[in-house]
Amino acid sequence: MNVAKSGYRVFSANSTAASTELAKKITERLGVDLGKSVVYQESNRETRVDVKESVRGQTIFIIQTVPRDVNTAIMELLVMAYALKTSCAKNIIGVIPYFPYSKQCKMRKRGSIVCKLLASMLAKAGLTHIITMDLHQKEIQGFFSFPVDNLRASPFLLQYIQEEVPDYRNAIIVAKSPSAAKRAQSYAERLRLGLAVMHGEAQCSESDMADGRHSPPCVRNTSGHPGLELPLMMAKEKPPITVVGDVGGRIAIIVDDIIDDVEDFVAAAEILKERGAYKIYIMATHGLLSADAPRLIEESAIDEVVVTNTVPHEVQKLQCPKIKTVDVSMILAEAIRRIHNGESMAYLFRNITVDD
Amino acid sequence: MPNIKIFSGSSHPDLGQKISDRLGLELGKVVTKKFSNQETCVEIGESVRGEDVYIVQSGCGEINDNLMELLIMINACKIASASRVTAVIPCFPYARQDKKDKGFFDIPVDNLYAEPAVLKWIKENINEWKNCTIVSPDAGGAKRVTSIADRLNVDFALIHKERKKANEVDRMVLVGDVKDRVAILVDDMADTCGTICHAADKLVSAGATKVYAILTHGIFSGPAITRINNACFEAVVVTNTIPQEDKMKHCSKIQVIDISMILAEAIRRTHNGESVSYLFSHVPL
Repeated sequence: MNVAKSGYRVFSANSTAASTELAKKITERLGVDLGKSVVYQESNRETRVDVKESVRGQTIFIIQTVPRDVNTAIMELLVMAYALKTSCAKNIIGVIPYFPYSKQCKMRKRGSIVCKLLASMLAKAGLTHIITMDLHQKEIQGFFSFPVDNLRASPFLLQYIQEEVPDYRNAIIVAKSPSAAKRAQSYAERLRLGLAVMHGEAQCSESDMADGRHSPPCVRNTSGHPGLELPLMMAKEKPPITVVGDVGGRIAIIVDDIIDDVEDFVAAAEILKERGAYKIYIMATHGLLSADAPRLIEESAIDEVVVTNTVPHEVQKLQCPKIKTVDVSMILAEAIRRIHNGESMAYLFRNITVDD
Repeated sequence: MPNIKIFSGSSHPDLGQKISDRLGLELGKVVTKKFSNQETCVEIGESVRGEDVYIVQSGCGEINDNLMELLIMINACKIASASRVTAVIPCFPYARQDKKDKGFFDIPVDNLYAEPAVLKWIKENINEWKNCTIVSPDAGGAKRVTSIADRLNVDFALIHKERKKANEVDRMVLVGDVKDRVAILVDDMADTCGTICHAADKLVSAGATKVYAILTHGIFSGPAITRINNACFEAVVVTNTIPQEDKMKHCSKIQVIDISMILAEAIRRTHNGESVSYLFSHVPL
């Protein structure tokens, strides 16, 4: 393909070979070469980016996957984007399949809404558009001052279920906690399967602690004005884990967007096994699989964990053969092609329900 | 002092503690941690509403992590209605890739100088200081070095790289006289220490009796410590803008100048609305 005529270039801002795998797959599908650049860490741990070709007047796509070292990956992206901006690139579009800090998108006590901070930083560095996949909260799109395309991995995961899970018609889609119910329901609808929701003590993690301050307060503070008697808020009761829906004699498929700390998933799998599920699958878009995850999965009742290649996880796969990968480079490449040609992206969203 | 809070990031907690001790304050409570997916999480542990907040974070160690932590802490303080947030960044990262001059920032910048502390150290620790030569290891540091030399009323010298032919390696040439004198190399930062070790060799072969190196920021990455141990320095002196305990265990030549009082005084003056320029030429006690 004649690179000069195509008018767009694709760069990868990652510095390790494992992280650039996805970028290579995408450029292969597009039939272009990855742009020449050098990204590395100096001995004093500063990130250095050198763009080795002219980008003047061109549309540039920067593909950035987020490996273990999140902050360095963010810095690499910012430095490359700014380098391209000051080199007169026309448009700079970030392709960030897994958007980091998306779980820190709500106000928590005296915390910071890091996602908003990150959005401001990306805008300042020169990005004009972002393509991402399965944002943890769709409202994050509102943090950005430029367009955000939130692609979905569900068609790929649905296809995997239909092709690779034997006897999938006897399966039931399970939401590990009430917050995942909407996504689980959209899968269940498209596969024409039943739905089950789990609820209870182990589920009370960060998602419920959105704002540590309750108004009115749960606990009476002694430092209040005497005479100001506010009614107390009732503290939440933590019921034992229950499964709403029947999983007896079925294959249980737990669906979520991110699989990171697997303790919740392992506990859920135990319960489902007790309630009669004979096989347990976990489908998640972003397989972060931090810390001890591979070992815990290997020792648990889970049969298979299926994730996409938005987050590099080769190391975890070596430690745990239950982890399977679905390649999503096709949809990312297609999105890049359509954006460059100014075509509609509606086709990529044709099978997506409103809750996905 | 009312309405002031000082927080320390995780890059250099020792310096943060020293600064707050000098100001007679307690360090503000903040929890900085990393989730298992390596994302940084910051939670401010006390009210900062309406306060003048100072966050001490140095650009050292894992720079990108520390930078992110600083940004998140600043953001958290702003969202929690702090009246003003000032970042105290003793060693400013990425300074060699950009310039840290005032014109590049949209916000006020106070660039303090370690020079007064350096002058004090020289007078107190080098007996022969009245007869020494201050040397710059490259042409770029000439201004810095002449300023110190003038205040001590001693001579200066500099080393510059000369390339005789296109493919030849740079040759280092000493401009000035160090014969039978104590030579004091002065520079702003030492990273891999290739330059200053070459310079030290040069000075010894030109007749210097002793060679000291005084550097504001001691980054000391890669082969730096080995190089210093093998080189002929009497002492390598750095400030504590970057934590040095670990490095000092591996290298007995490293000594540290404490600059926490300069930073503390700058914070005090900024908080009280006084002039900071006094600090450009004086070391607070």
